[in-house]
Amino acid sequence: MKLHRLIAINLRFFYNLRRSYDRLSDVFYWPALDLFIWGLTSSFFVSIAPEFPNLIFSILAGQILWIFLWRGQYEISVNLLEDLWNRNLINIFVSPLKFSEWIAALVIHGILKAFISFLFAALFAFFLYKTNIFSFGFSMIPFMILLIMTGWTIGFFVAALILRYGTKVQTLAWTLGGLFGPFSAIYYPVSILPDWGRFIAAFVPSSYVFEGMREVINKGQLNTHLLLVSFILNLIYLILALFFLSRSFRKVLEKGLVKVY
Amino acid sequence: MNILVVKNLTKKFKKFVAVDNISFSLREGEILGLLGPNGAGKTTTIQMLLGVLLPTSGEVRVFDKELHAHKEEILEKVNFSSTYTDLPWRLSVFENLHFLSYLYDIKNRKERIKKVSNIFRLEKLLSQPISELSSGQITRVNLAKAFLNFPKILFLDEPTASLDPDTAKYVRDFLLSERKNFNMSIVWTSHNMAEVEEVCDRVIFINKGRLIADDPPSQLAKTIEVSHVELNVSDGLKRTIEMCGKDSIHYRLEGRNIVVDLKEKEIPDFLKKLMDKGVYYTEISINKPSLEDYFLQVVKQKR
Repeated sequence: MKLHRLIAINLRFFYNLRRSYDRLSDVFYWPALDLFIWGLTSSFFVSIAPEFPNLIFSILAGQILWIFLWRGQYEISVNLLEDLWNRNLINIFVSPLKFSEWIAALVIHGILKAFISFLFAALFAFFLYKTNIFSFGFSMIPFMILLIMTGWTIGFFVAALILRYGTKVQTLAWTLGGLFGPFSAIYYPVSILPDWGRFIAAFVPSSYVFEGMREVINKGQLNTHLLLVSFILNLIYLILALFFLSRSFRKVLEKGLVKVY
Repeated sequence: MNILVVKNLTKKFKKFVAVDNISFSLREGEILGLLGPNGAGKTTTIQMLLGVLLPTSGEVRVFDKELHAHKEEILEKVNFSSTYTDLPWRLSVFENLHFLSYLYDIKNRKERIKKVSNIFRLEKLLSQPISELSSGQITRVNLAKAFLNFPKILFLDEPTASLDPDTAKYVRDFLLSERKNFNMSIVWTSHNMAEVEEVCDRVIFINKGRLIADDPPSQLAKTIEVSHVELNVSDGLKRTIEMCGKDSIHYRLEGRNIVVDLKEKEIPDFLKKLMDKGVYYTEISINKPSLEDYFLQVVKQKR
């Protein structure tokens, strides 16, 4: 893996970020708007149910941490789409760039943008609702890692489908990640879900992270068992998604890179 | 010395054979024309040579190394430019060349970008996004990109298709000088036969996936025996037409001009006969067969 090639791909997407209002709004506008709405909603809930003072923090922390999952998946699938829309994949892959380097570059780019969005959202929540996400301390680190891993899995899966079926399935880049929202139980405990929903949530790694986050908020303790289950699930899904993605790339090379659109 | 060797290369898409068992080579410092009608298999061949399409069977060796086993190392010394591929359109010309120069690990990146920008007359366009450029300007950016890494082999897919004649000539002259100075090898596809005749040392002709010729352009043209004799007839056009009909000579009329297809050795006889019949013509031109004639004949035969 060559550092200059990882820098090249990241540079390409940072130049794009700088020049694209779409991408800038992804990083700043939507997280701010979501926080604004959920902050007001949770403030309203607390005003009618003052016995739950942690509600605002719980909802806003869920919202802020969700950024890691969302950015992880979004940067992989949308940046692949950017190169398809620009018919630029051929320029990328007639260079010495390896497929693994391209994947690694997208992952790095996702991490960098997740941190930009996260810091922006954390400051926004602090100034608007006096909510300090950093009060989680170091326990926040495994939450971030596990959520971004789930994001990568979804991103790789969507990228694999886009490589196989082209831009006609591009909507998955904006929709599939959202589908994990209800079963991740970002704002409410898993126990609220109906039976079938709880069954699905048991297989969703991010649901364990948000359950763990609420335990830290409500009980002040980090449940390592929940994090371990999430990690094992993430690892299995990530390996499967990477396998699927590399198979899809191989398929693309069999039918021709220029034919993917 | 051969720096690219293609052996029995075949590509099938399900039952359709796009490239059928072709073999050829490219010598160091050679400009090789890759010709053929639309859908002949040229693009499929180039894609396989660039490693972005897997062959069904056959072998591609570049710099004496198998392409897929040494792809990374080989592609560092190869580049590609096509009129039909785009660059990220939101990025400026400089930003595109900058990220690509990282991809190829160019030393003194800014200096190199300045140099290729000067060569392809892009200095004033560096800060402009690709989306604001004309197709000719984009072609020049693509060519600049192709020269970033000092390639030893360059694949050019219709490199002058959208350029004005002046710039096209400038680009051709530049490529010829690069070949001379750096012994660079070029694989050139084009539908501009005059350009191919001017630039290419050798031409391979592909039709329906099969390689049907591999010769210098002049040799290919020589395989066509028929020349076009064009006469501006001032008196006796009807007699000329009758004579052609009687002798089964192919002709076409263009106003007072008649264009007659004749083998070179038949021309003196034909002109003498016209004189005997009292035909007067004020102008005569004899066009020897060109690569274009070869192209048209092959396509017609194979249809």
